[in-house]
Amino acid sequence: MLVLFLPVFLFFLMIGLPVFFALLVAPGLLLWLNGQERDIALLYRNVYNGMDSFPLMALPFFMLAGELMNRGGITIRLVEFSQALMGHLRGGLAHVNILSSMLFAGLSGSAVADTSALGSTLIPAMEKNGYSRKFAAAITAASSVIGPIIPPSGIMIIYAYVMGESVAALFLAGIVPGVLVGAGLMLMVRVLADKYDLPKAERIVKKDITMKPVEYWVSLVLLRINVAGLLVAAYAGVKALLASLTDIDISVDGWTLFFIFLPIAHLILLNIRRRVSQEFRFVCKRAVAPLQTPIIILGGIMIGVFTPTEASSIAVAYALLISFFVLRTMKLGDLPSIFMKAAVASATVLLLVGAAVAFKTVVSLSHAPEQLAAFVITLSENPLILLFLINILLFIVGMFLDAGPAIIILGPILAPVFIDLGVHPVHFAIIMSVNLTVGLATPPMGLVLFVASSVSGERVETISRAILPFLAVEIVVIFMITYFPALSMTIPRLAGFIK
Amino acid sequence: MHNFDGNHDNDSSINSVSWTIARALSLVMTPVSWLNKLVIAISKQLAWLALLFMVIMILLQVFFRYVLNDALAWPDEAARLCMLWMTGLMAPFAMRTGGFVAIDMLPRALPNRLAQVLTLFLLTLSVIVLIYAIKFGWKHTMGFGGNFASSSLKLPLDWFGMDMIRLKLRYVYASLLFGVTFLFTVTIELILRSMITLMVPNFPLPQITSPGTAGAN
Repeated sequence: MLVLFLPVFLFFLMIGLPVFFALLVAPGLLLWLNGQERDIALLYRNVYNGMDSFPLMALPFFMLAGELMNRGGITIRLVEFSQALMGHLRGGLAHVNILSSMLFAGLSGSAVADTSALGSTLIPAMEKNGYSRKFAAAITAASSVIGPIIPPSGIMIIYAYVMGESVAALFLAGIVPGVLVGAGLMLMVRVLADKYDLPKAERIVKKDITMKPVEYWVSLVLLRINVAGLLVAAYAGVKALLASLTDIDISVDGWTLFFIFLPIAHLILLNIRRRVSQEFRFVCKRAVAPLQTPIIILGGIMIGVFTPTEASSIAVAYALLISFFVLRTMKLGDLPSIFMKAAVASATVLLLVGAAVAFKTVVSLSHAPEQLAAFVITLSENPLILLFLINILLFIVGMFLDAGPAIIILGPILAPVFIDLGVHPVHFAIIMSVNLTVGLATPPMGLVLFVASSVSGERVETISRAILPFLAVEIVVIFMITYFPALSMTIPRLAGFIK
Repeated sequence: MHNFDGNHDNDSSINSVSWTIARALSLVMTPVSWLNKLVIAISKQLAWLALLFMVIMILLQVFFRYVLNDALAWPDEAARLCMLWMTGLMAPFAMRTGGFVAIDMLPRALPNRLAQVLTLFLLTLSVIVLIYAIKFGWKHTMGFGGNFASSSLKLPLDWFGMDMIRLKLRYVYASLLFGVTFLFTVTIELILRSMITLMVPNFPLPQITSPGTAGAN
């Protein structure tokens, strides 16, 4: 009887019941028909317990940080920076769109936020420069998928929470796949350039940019600190290499090293400064303060100073500090509406997480997961073939279901099967997260497609057709990370988060 | 508030019985709608403050642990309390403004009239879920478990020479009960709306403005 949970859930979902209610109606109805009315109380308790979690708190915080950055005028700075770097290529603005998405992904963990923030600036700009609207909307939707793949990532926070994995390991594992999706999309833009007759843009460096003195000096200092930090990291790498090859030990105290490298960083930057134009320099400098966010988040997590939840609160504090004191783009009166928007978005997600946890708990009483797992094993003993099949299953699920609920429902069923077969838990987490994230941009039910449609005014059906070549690229990337675990596993392994 | 004085042209194809029923329903809806708007207006303000407190408390925790080397016990639990209340407070607003994600392929594909019947059915299902939720939520909050004291949250009345009071978990549990209770009243309002539209398609209903919601995706 209880085995019917999934079909009943899907039925209610397809006739249009909100996901939150469908997650509760399906197990509730089956328990009721089964005469286990007392177990329905379990559903309620698990909705509550499912939301009551410290790691989940990173979700509202990252949403808030993203919202603050966007309102603080950070999006436009990232776009201008991308333009200065890539605007001169064939299909320039399409490349700019992809690069902006990758940069934005380091600040926000949500594809929907990415689409609405970048779409509203870039789609009109692309149209004005001779791109068709459907192409502009499609590339915006396709590239925004990078948002939850490059850390921070709401989807990975949910996965880590449900499966008890380390958020830090998942975040770090997402970096390379995210960059791969971006690079793949750029390649596809190059291929499509002739078909769509994409215009070649000039190197667009915005003229007459001014910077307030505070921002100028803060960016100047930040840049030197970062380059010095990079040199320290490079030094640590060389040291490790030397130590592994010979027995030369060149240990110097980290801080001493940092202060030795600081003037060197200054000289390097002065040297670069002489070669570029004043405008280019300013556009880049304006991007320094925003792009410090991912460095703080990832740096803090990697060094092991912060938990992801703490890192997310630091990101909020940094965003506030920057928008109020450095960029001066925000007023105190703007805060309530920004916090409110983040609060309502977080509330709906947390309720979904709670309901999905309740669904999962009741369903696990039914032994359905074991039966499903046993069935999966009968298909093939070979993990490589099973991974192929599971990718197809996840892709189909992703077409209809949002990534969050899909992970909570299917993660606990599928992950143990593959871990038993020898797939690393973090590797499987990345396969599942990336696959379901791409599902956000797949027709017919891709959330991102709907947002792109409402931002651009183009019909969902039209965008759905235009996005197909880009989806093909993303599918290739999914299979790449499936069959080359090193792509995702190397960074977390080097950082010591997985053995 | 909306008005339904006679200046609306009665569509001749819709008979006056429908209009009478629709008006009666709208009379029932007015106080429900008024209650919802009031509750939402207040809880929106409280919810954003809850989020603000969450941020402040976690930052405080970070500061104490890494700068003062003295980990505090309570910010973790206090921040979770705020998060649960933020969720409970914002749920009715999200529901009323269509923030609950649903797959609306079928309702959009159906002819208008049929789609309205389907919507009514879906809302009724939601109400049944919420009635159960209120029932269990009441037991959860007011029952045995709610009587336990929180492990780290207390009102420091001992500073004022009184006994220290530990916060009962009931006040945390109440967040979800609050949420489902006003989700219920909001859904009742939505049901009345959809019944009125079913009776008289062009009945002048007050607008519900909806902000875009992003979500974790």
